[in-house]
Amino acid sequence: MFGLNKIIPVEPNINFLGLRRNFLIFSIIAILISIILLSIKGLNLGIDFKGGTLIEVSTKNTSIGELREILSSSYSDVSLQEFGNENIILIRLQNKSNQESIETVNSVKNLIQDKVVEFRRSEFVGPTISSELLFRGFQAVSFALIAILIYIWLRFEWQFGFGAVVALTHDVLFTLGLLSILNVEFSLATIAAILTIAGYSINDTVVIFDRVRENLRKYKKLELVDLFNLSVNNTLSRTIMTSLTTLLALVSLFIFGGEVIRPFALTMIIGVIIGTYSSVFIAVPTLLIFKFRPQDEDD
Amino acid sequence: MKNYPIWKSFTVVSLVLLGIIFAVPSIIYDENSENWFLKNKINLGLDLQGGSYLLLEVQLDVLYKEELDNFVDSVRLISRDQAVKIEKIDIQENEVVVFFGNKEKIKDIRDSFFQMYRGVTLQINNNKLSIKLNDEYRKIIQDSAIKQSLEIVRKRIDESGTKEPLIQRSGKKRILLQLPGVKDPERIKDLLGKTAKLTFHIVDNDNTSALQNNLAPFGKIIVPDMYDENTKYLLDKRAVVGGENLVDAKGSFDQTEGHAVSFRFDTEGAQKFGKVTTNNIGKNLAVVLDGVVITAPRISSAITGGSGIITGNFNAQEASDLAVLLRAGALPAPLEIVEERSVGAGLGADSIAAGQIAAIIGMVLVCIFMILIYGTFGALANVSLIVNLFIIISLLGTIGATLTLPGIAGIVLTIGMAVDANVLIFERIKEESLKQKKVFQIVKNGFDRAMSTILDANITTLIAAVLLFAFGSGPIRGFSITLSLGVVASMFTALMLTNFLVYMYLSFANKKELKL
Repeated sequence: MFGLNKIIPVEPNINFLGLRRNFLIFSIIAILISIILLSIKGLNLGIDFKGGTLIEVSTKNTSIGELREILSSSYSDVSLQEFGNENIILIRLQNKSNQESIETVNSVKNLIQDKVVEFRRSEFVGPTISSELLFRGFQAVSFALIAILIYIWLRFEWQFGFGAVVALTHDVLFTLGLLSILNVEFSLATIAAILTIAGYSINDTVVIFDRVRENLRKYKKLELVDLFNLSVNNTLSRTIMTSLTTLLALVSLFIFGGEVIRPFALTMIIGVIIGTYSSVFIAVPTLLIFKFRPQDEDD
Repeated sequence: MKNYPIWKSFTVVSLVLLGIIFAVPSIIYDENSENWFLKNKINLGLDLQGGSYLLLEVQLDVLYKEELDNFVDSVRLISRDQAVKIEKIDIQENEVVVFFGNKEKIKDIRDSFFQMYRGVTLQINNNKLSIKLNDEYRKIIQDSAIKQSLEIVRKRIDESGTKEPLIQRSGKKRILLQLPGVKDPERIKDLLGKTAKLTFHIVDNDNTSALQNNLAPFGKIIVPDMYDENTKYLLDKRAVVGGENLVDAKGSFDQTEGHAVSFRFDTEGAQKFGKVTTNNIGKNLAVVLDGVVITAPRISSAITGGSGIITGNFNAQEASDLAVLLRAGALPAPLEIVEERSVGAGLGADSIAAGQIAAIIGMVLVCIFMILIYGTFGALANVSLIVNLFIIISLLGTIGATLTLPGIAGIVLTIGMAVDANVLIFERIKEESLKQKKVFQIVKNGFDRAMSTILDANITTLIAAVLLFAFGSGPIRGFSITLSLGVVASMFTALMLTNFLVYMYLSFANKKELKL
């Protein structure tokens, strides 16, 4: 129609596997940096996992500085941040106990009552709950990885499962590392984003693996490296198309979806890019570790 | 139309129509509609419509401690009867250890005690008697406390005028509340934060040394004043009558005393109250609420009518809230708020508006992109995509799922991911078209070959979504629901609807060759 489909050739022939060493080194360095960052700097934990109080207010005739002055005289550990526009301000407080937090919300509200048009949101997560939420989030991600591994193992040979999980772990660590660098708030929604990334990345990987399996049956004589290259090339336009449409939707969410959802959208955008990259450059090369051919010839 | 079964067309068309029709209630969104059809609309989560989510924890430790205190009192009484001196009492977390002056009668004491309490483990070691709460006993205390708390919380919330609250037990010792549309969460928290244990005690004005030394003799307690911590009262430990005997309480106004709470006892309470006031004329009667004395007026005459008023420095709101608490009854143990998420209606409305804009723009971008890449086939996929969105909305409405802000994110994400199945099919068709010329064979092969890939790819996404539902909480579950529905709907629209549309298009356009 517009001839744009010619941009991606029907039968591309790009030597992805030839570049595998470079990308492998890149990924290993990225993962190492991520691990170092996560252990030294850590993640910017939100109140879901750190516990504490968060109050979002819309203000009139005041500035963030003025509010900070009012509040910091009563609280030592208070941080304020503009949220979307200068009239909306996010107030974060740390408290030692549940009781203290409940009283905090009340007293903060009283202190700034006359500067505020609307209390848009107040959240409080107690210390017991925040550690439970963290544990459950960790549980969810681990179980998801295991369940996906089992599914791939049942549907494909176990080697594919291994490749998929290597790619998945890569995606999760790499994404977390970037979240740490970018100081994106890590909340319950981020856990959801990470699990969705896992789902998305595996989806991408499975499509390529599916083709690898098909080609393994079809071309008995082909060298493994060439066969993998062929499979990646066969599915390349699909990989690009789906990533682009997903990114289009996510970018729209990032720009127009509102301030609350923005960290989620950003995490997803990062994850989709990394997930797409890893399917091609990590998951498939990992399969090279295994000798598929001799088994096939035995059949 | 070549080889396209009529039953299949019929199924596809009717499912699509159902999907569109049942999306109507959610799109119109008439909040108060009683119409059976229009009622099938999406429920908005608290983060979208505004409201409060509260998680309360019953402070069971307080109850265990209370029970241990009862043990101590009983042991004291028994040993007084047996004329055995108690040297020391050690109250630990889960047990009481009593040291007696001699060990002769310790077995008798143990046996008398065991007749009073069943769920305990008693152990004698020389002159030491240790009394331990059994696990089953603790469990009974726990279960009855949660049950009672749930009931009281429900009464208090109902009295506060909150519409359609959701109140349920969560885990071993927690209560979960969802209160849509609450404008003043602080007031609700105040209502829930009070135990509201009301008791009446005779004041002991004779024993002035006890107050000076701040040491209550056996059978008495020292209780501070509500308004002035330094004013203390020495009271009989035994309550004359308590809140459990109240049948009604109302905020009232008294010319001389200001705002007050008037109350009425049941028959038993009225009798007790009448008897005590008759026998104690001239003494003071303290009204104790949650461990502080609200007021302690002098009994000037016997009160036999079974009703009275409580005065204090109340304002109108405080008096009516206290009345609410007294009507609902006392909590067996204090409740601690461990999690709160309150969203104002303004933020909720903003979130909905932003979510809609993001969804529409995302949709338009994806549609344009699909047409640019696949031309007519892209347009057909776009029809599927739009129908997909309708189906998600109608499923959400008919199963009564709750749409949250992350849920909207899930829908926007689905828009991007739903075309995947279509893309897989089109790419296969593209490949097939290089191999042969028969148009319908190309399409058939394309769909057949893409099928297993589509299933594999979507099932893995579903696994992640289902686990998210199992381990996630509140709003995150909303995300996993929309994501799962989106994945399922996209498989249907791609494999059935796009398939149908492509066949239709090829038949009517009478295409002799296929270029994609």
